[in-house]
Amino acid sequence: MNKFIKSFSIIFTLLFINNNVLAQSATTLEGEFKIGPAIILILLLITFVMVGVFNRAKDTSDYWAAGRKISPVGAGMAIASNWMSAASFLGMAAVMYGAGYHGLSYVVGWTGGYVLLLILMAGQIRRYGKYTAADFIGDRFYSKGLRGIGAGLAIFISFSYCVGQFAGIGLMFKWILGIDYTWAVIIGASVVLTYTLISGMLGVTKNMQIQYVIIIISFLIPMFILCYKFGYFYFLPQTGYGAVVSDIVNGLAPGKGITALGHDVGILPSPELAMPWDKATGQTAFQWIAICFSLMIGTAGLPHVIQRFYVVPRARDARWSVVWGLFFICILYWSAPVYSAFGKLLSSNPEVGKLAKDAIVVYTAQLGDVYPLIVGFLAAGAVSAAFSTVSGLLVAGASAFSHDLYFKVINPAATEQKQMLMARIGTILMAAGVAIIALLNLGLIAQLVAVAFSLAGCTIFPLFLLGIWWSGSNRAGAWAGVIAGSAVSLIALVYFIAGKFGGVLPGQEFVNYYMNAWYFAIFGAPIAILANIVVSKISKDKTPPEIVKFLAEKVHNYKVSS
Amino acid sequence: MTDNEKYNVNFFKPLSEHAKANKKLIIILATIWFVSVFGFQFLLIVLNEPTPEKSYITFQEVWPQVVHNPEAPIESKQELARCFLYVLGKNVALKDNHRVTLKRALSGLVFGLVPDSLNSPLLGEPSEQSIKLAQAGIGLSEEGFDKLMLALLPTSLIKVSDDIMTKEVIDEIPSIMELYLVHNQNAFTDFEFIGFPFHYWYTAQFLLILFVVLCLIYAVVIDKTNTKFNFVEET
Repeated sequence: MNKFIKSFSIIFTLLFINNNVLAQSATTLEGEFKIGPAIILILLLITFVMVGVFNRAKDTSDYWAAGRKISPVGAGMAIASNWMSAASFLGMAAVMYGAGYHGLSYVVGWTGGYVLLLILMAGQIRRYGKYTAADFIGDRFYSKGLRGIGAGLAIFISFSYCVGQFAGIGLMFKWILGIDYTWAVIIGASVVLTYTLISGMLGVTKNMQIQYVIIIISFLIPMFILCYKFGYFYFLPQTGYGAVVSDIVNGLAPGKGITALGHDVGILPSPELAMPWDKATGQTAFQWIAICFSLMIGTAGLPHVIQRFYVVPRARDARWSVVWGLFFICILYWSAPVYSAFGKLLSSNPEVGKLAKDAIVVYTAQLGDVYPLIVGFLAAGAVSAAFSTVSGLLVAGASAFSHDLYFKVINPAATEQKQMLMARIGTILMAAGVAIIALLNLGLIAQLVAVAFSLAGCTIFPLFLLGIWWSGSNRAGAWAGVIAGSAVSLIALVYFIAGKFGGVLPGQEFVNYYMNAWYFAIFGAPIAILANIVVSKISKDKTPPEIVKFLAEKVHNYKVSS
Repeated sequence: MTDNEKYNVNFFKPLSEHAKANKKLIIILATIWFVSVFGFQFLLIVLNEPTPEKSYITFQEVWPQVVHNPEAPIESKQELARCFLYVLGKNVALKDNHRVTLKRALSGLVFGLVPDSLNSPLLGEPSEQSIKLAQAGIGLSEEGFDKLMLALLPTSLIKVSDDIMTKEVIDEIPSIMELYLVHNQNAFTDFEFIGFPFHYWYTAQFLLILFVVLCLIYAVVIDKTNTKFNFVEET
């Protein structure tokens, strides 16, 4: 056994560990154009397009229903790939690196929401049997106007979700191409747009499964290397990094024989990385709870997540796809803190200087002298994670625009070609708009994505929750809920933008703290739910009997004798 | 009775045995989910005690001796310099304005630790000579944590001038030291589990495992419930 471990260790060292000790700083970590990572990225993108070509959807319904033939495990992988974006890949480690325990609110929020989604919605949504979130809203609340609003919200949510992704793509393109952030975002946006236009209608679900495998492998390999190289338990780095956290908390005197940047690795005691709501991080317990809650209910309200349940054959498969999806997602979420911990340890040397937090995953691998091509694969994995999510969101946003809004509400006489043209125009406009917002550098990737979750939590989530579980929720109540949720969202975003550009509005500090752009759903969702209930109760409007009957019999299995 | 009353769907008032079983399951799982996530965080809030690092206790001892007394013992000044370096070593957490204040305080203190006849290099930009003087003044060895503090010196010293230790700097120092050296700790943060501080393992690892298990339980139980009540889900 010992011989085996020894041989394994030698092979591992030869294959993956770069023994060149390089003196690097924040500037040299960025470096110039990196040919290896660039080639890996191009190969990955070509692979995704080719997989799409070979699994091309024959028509629109096949595109949506591709998954109707796939197993719950495959659907789970597709959910995980769709979910694991730049925010998961780069953003979570960034928040934990900068704000320690506070960052775990993102890890818990982005996974715990799946429990809500499963027990409250997955099977029921599938049994209801519509294709998009807007379809469900329009049908359940028997309102063309609400259908349009639902589509508009889906577009807006997809838009804000994409902003964080473009920021991630920009950072990785900056790292790979060695250019400044503005050009990196412009080039990255152009590439992702081209990729989406080429692959948009190809075999998406199959592609998502392959993307998941590539993303997770690229994320895990450097982690094993880091744990192995620095003498931590490397057979399961997800537990091995516990000792790294404790070393950071208690301090690690140099001299373990581990070097990075040409220096012995060591760190002065830094409990602020792990202690709950450390004052040094500027974050409070309220903010932890507010972010966690907002991300959880946002998860259960995101249109592109909900829509995944429509592409499985049966409601049972929808439920099991969530179980598998969450398991696959958790593999990455268990691992993300490894990068923040090693990042903290390896960047403690003052010569490293200040690092861009959102790129800490890649910097950590570099600081640990991981073989450059492996680091390149990691960066390409980050880009793939962002690309898979962005292309899905752009397609979903464009579909909502051309199908739910343009065809169903604005111009029902539109031909198939006209709809397709509108979808393409919608994709291009959306990508351009997202790129412009991404250039403003409004926050960390995870924070920017959290805005989309709060928006979904304030608007879509209450409609689905009450729409499924209370037949008394009617059109008037739904309107009231949407208006209340949108109003809270608008206030939070206006105050946030004003604050970012130096403006001071009445009660600025109060609103920025209690209804911050990253977590305004903590109040917005309960207000929207309450407004929906109160107005539904007092209005004369009643849910049509056929909808109530459908809900009772088909969605909830109420067998009522006549 | 109207159709709407007959078919009324209300989570809290289930009309069928199947719906009652479903409601019970959802409430049990949602309660476990809620208590495990938020209950534990509330417990941390309740149990948290502001706990100082060793260097903060040292700071509290030596700061009053040194701050208004140029003749304070050299050992106290050296301890204070080490306390400043401890905080300057928290490179990720440290805010820029606090870093500037600490650099001023450290540089002023080091200037006082070096004999007048030798301290002229400290009046200029940091150099190899001034760093060596600072190392000797503070008494830093090249072993253990001292080695880390030594590595911090080149980026922590600034040019010494007459106004380096202003009243604002002196007034600000205690609150900066408290901010970075006092942490929320309790029995859960002090107890180690498979290498992690327990609370960190619980939140970063256990909760995720629990979420998967809760989903698994729901998927299994609801399948059995549907079979029991002969509910054939639509394809």
